[in-house]
Amino acid sequence: MGNYQILEHTADMGIEAWGESSGEMFVQAARGLMDIIGGETETLGEERLIEIRGEDFEEILIRWLNEILFLFESRGFFPGEFEIMVLEDHFLRARVMGEQFDSNRHRVEREVKAVTYHQLKVEKSGNEWRARIYLDL
Amino acid sequence: MALPMEKIGVCRWRLPQEGKMRTEGLVFATDDMMEAIRQEQALEQVRNVATLPGIMGPSIAMPDIHWGYGFPIGGVAAFDENEGGVVSPGGVGYDINCGVRLLRSALNADEIRPRLKELADGLFRNIPSGVGSRRKDLKLTLQEEKQVLQKGALWAVERGFGTENDLLHIEETGRLSGADPDIVSDRALERGQSQLGTLGSGNHFLEVQEVEEIRDEEAAQTLGLSPGQVTVTIHTGSRGLGYQICDDYIGVMRRASRKYGIELPDPQLCSAPLSSPEARQYLSAMACAANFAFANRQLITDWVRETFEQVLGRRPAENQLSVIYDVCHNIAKWETHRVGGKERRLCVHRKGATRAFPPGHPDVPDMYRHVGQPVLIPGDMGRYSYVLVGTQAAYEETFGSTCHGAGRVLSRHAAKKLARGRDIIGQLAARGILVRAAGRATVAEEISEAYKDVMEVVGVVQQAGIGKIVARLRPLAVVKG
Repeated sequence: MGNYQILEHTADMGIEAWGESSGEMFVQAARGLMDIIGGETETLGEERLIEIRGEDFEEILIRWLNEILFLFESRGFFPGEFEIMVLEDHFLRARVMGEQFDSNRHRVEREVKAVTYHQLKVEKSGNEWRARIYLDL
Repeated sequence: MALPMEKIGVCRWRLPQEGKMRTEGLVFATDDMMEAIRQEQALEQVRNVATLPGIMGPSIAMPDIHWGYGFPIGGVAAFDENEGGVVSPGGVGYDINCGVRLLRSALNADEIRPRLKELADGLFRNIPSGVGSRRKDLKLTLQEEKQVLQKGALWAVERGFGTENDLLHIEETGRLSGADPDIVSDRALERGQSQLGTLGSGNHFLEVQEVEEIRDEEAAQTLGLSPGQVTVTIHTGSRGLGYQICDDYIGVMRRASRKYGIELPDPQLCSAPLSSPEARQYLSAMACAANFAFANRQLITDWVRETFEQVLGRRPAENQLSVIYDVCHNIAKWETHRVGGKERRLCVHRKGATRAFPPGHPDVPDMYRHVGQPVLIPGDMGRYSYVLVGTQAAYEETFGSTCHGAGRVLSRHAAKKLARGRDIIGQLAARGILVRAAGRATVAEEISEAYKDVMEVVGVVQQAGIGKIVARLRPLAVVKG
């Protein structure tokens, strides 16, 4: 089973996410991101399809998380659950389930400015995928 | 790994050149601060920056240095195009032209104290803060937004938000040249469209203050500051537009670093030679974000004036909220500096650092030229902020740069733990500081104890001579995102 953990340094926050597959790790990283933003979805009635192309796996992971931030911040969509449909070396297709953002109902804790490449680590050891990502707050 | 820091003078430390470093490091700190700085990886970041091609002079860090992304926060680094120098989006940061604007007023703190609650509420209502907030009466078309990116604060003034006189009191008159909105991504434009005229959250804030202490009479008089006077500080940047431009160009620069064979100790340091098309495009897009931030602070200034009028029921001429100055804390700029006895045109990166040009420098506005450029250093919401002026020593040693703020000492988690069970807002109110905050976690995460005492930070730059303290400002009302 995968999971995530919030990392904290003095001025920064990050996510350590892991799973039995790369897809599971991607889902856990997204959950970690939404945990840092705060607030909870009540329904998962709407969905958005995300497609990302990237140079490498690391770039796809960062773009995936930035895409979720973008859906939330600019499109007013509050994500609650994630499903990876296709994940290859240079391509990701995923479904994000959630609802329209409502600042009265979704009590957001803090703003995340961006997902960074700083000290980014993505690795597979044995049967486990693990990633470490830092955010700019 | 402990790096061998050598103390070389008053609050000055050298990180000797070794390994792949192309130059040495120079850090400004007291002995106590250095102990704390050693605990973080920030000094490794000073070293990493020193490995980048074409760096001129030392890789510099201010006393508010802390661990950043790639470059340390509080870092200054200058690069020469003719020596293979580079530009790096990580040397500017995500919040491009995050900066500070200071307004002075003709009001005395005692005059507004009885109306402070209404003033705090009014500012909180009129100036959108927190995630997803916006002014309903400001809608930008894409064409208008592109004008903002090109014209900066001038765009806002042309639209009736403020006066031409405001522009004379802004770094670069509120407009960086070379901004080409057509190279900015659709996504960055979309993020910016709904966020112009918003404060944001986290450490961004708007503060009504009183001048608590004057340390330099002549400079204070020139800046129009006197004890008991009401001032307003606006601390915000380029919002989602800047974050997106940084992110877009980190992708471009990762590829560019490979293409131009730049060896990177940390992927977040990715960069391109200043002579390359990638560098020119980044600097042009960065200028767009910088201009957006200048326009943002200009709009907020107008709404501050409007709120003071509404609440105090006085005409604008009576409040006289005028701009003292507006500085960038996260920026890369072309400037001329002397290195090794030679005048060079350098790309100076300031990431969590403030330009601090000396008396007599042509880029200091006429009315301030004999005292030096005003430098604005915000502290935390419970203590104070500082006004400084630039010095000749800063010009000679740090490419005309000084510190930018307090910097965190506690993680957000530790701050929340410390705040648990305490009525932070009530405690501040008892000390005459009214706080209004949009975010649920903001107040607890931003408590005074979470930050370094900014007095110690400005104390170091004053002792080292790379900044001169003019005045201390105490908060009366604070709006946080």
